[in-house]
Amino acid sequence: MSVDAKVKGIISDQLEVAVEKLSMETTFEDIDADSLDIVELVMALEEEFDLEISDQEIENIKTVGDVIKYIESQV
Amino acid sequence: MNIFSKSYCQYPIIQGGMAVRVSTAPLAGAAAAAGGVGIIGATGMKVEELRQEIRKARKLAGSGKIGINVMYAARNFADLAKAALQEKVDLIIFGAGFSREIFSWGREAGTPIVAVVSSPRVAVLAEKLGAAAVIAEGSEAGGHLGTDLSVAEILPAIKKAVKIPVIAAGGLTDHHDIKRIMELGADGVQLGTRFVLSEECAVDDSFKKHYLGASREDVVLIKSPVGLPGRAIRNKFSEALALSRESIKNCSQCLKSCSHDFCILKALENSRKGLIDQGLVFSGQNVFKIKEILPVKKIFENLARAFQVRS
Repeated sequence: MSVDAKVKGIISDQLEVAVEKLSMETTFEDIDADSLDIVELVMALEEEFDLEISDQEIENIKTVGDVIKYIESQV
Repeated sequence: MNIFSKSYCQYPIIQGGMAVRVSTAPLAGAAAAAGGVGIIGATGMKVEELRQEIRKARKLAGSGKIGINVMYAARNFADLAKAALQEKVDLIIFGAGFSREIFSWGREAGTPIVAVVSSPRVAVLAEKLGAAAVIAEGSEAGGHLGTDLSVAEILPAIKKAVKIPVIAAGGLTDHHDIKRIMELGADGVQLGTRFVLSEECAVDDSFKKHYLGASREDVVLIKSPVGLPGRAIRNKFSEALALSRESIKNCSQCLKSCSHDFCILKALENSRKGLIDQGLVFSGQNVFKIKEILPVKKIFENLARAFQVRS
């Protein structure tokens, strides 16, 4: 499975939103995710991809695409 | 380990950190010396200033506990937290956003980290990451708020969700309030507003007078540029906010993210300096119940009546 599909799957599970609704441009605001949702999402991503994401990097996450691009740059 | 056990401090009462420069060394030092936990409001300070405040508070505190409170939304959050750890504070309380890294910094320094939370979900996350305790803060609190539910509503669920101590905060002013909330399961309490009306609190006298003159109806919610609602006492400034945006000069970019509706740093500085009409007077909902300015020691004696059976 591609990083793209894996990340979308995790976002979908964590935030309870249909995968079809997630595009690269979807912002977390669009899908009503608050800062804590994002922290929890990041923890799930860290586990899945075996990496560490700093507070600073979390603050830069605004869209689904941001997450995918970041993960792709790390794996 | 329960950091609020009797061997830690005489009373499980935290004098809440209040920014900007409302709870500074004289207040925090006196609260610690009186047997509680004294908290310096670090948000809005520069790193060097915070170091000096911590050292001054220590001198006043004797063997009492001194900590800081810092808002995650502050741009220099990490610098303030790290400086406080280097100064060997006894605990760090943080809120207004969620940091994961602060827990690892605390672990390295051997310093307890306490998160201000308003739901079981955040409490569980904080516990998982290593929080020594959580502060369950209800909507009665002053300043920035994370919930519109009362402390009595959120406390039982948070208490049920975690094993670490849960400190209740929001609207508590006297020993009756403390007793009531301890009966709902709180392991300790945090009070802010009550300590503004102390002799030691370093705000201008007119700030305290504004507190003493407030009625129940004067306590309002404003929209803070931080992105959270804030509880304050109505004045010319809060009334003007509802009508227009302020043009901001000399922005120091103190926040990671700011609406720029007005400069909250300046608004809070103005009021604490005595320019009440040009500033924001943050306060808890029950400020109108507090009738007098007392020495911190006396406030603690009064509050301690809630714990006469504590063993």
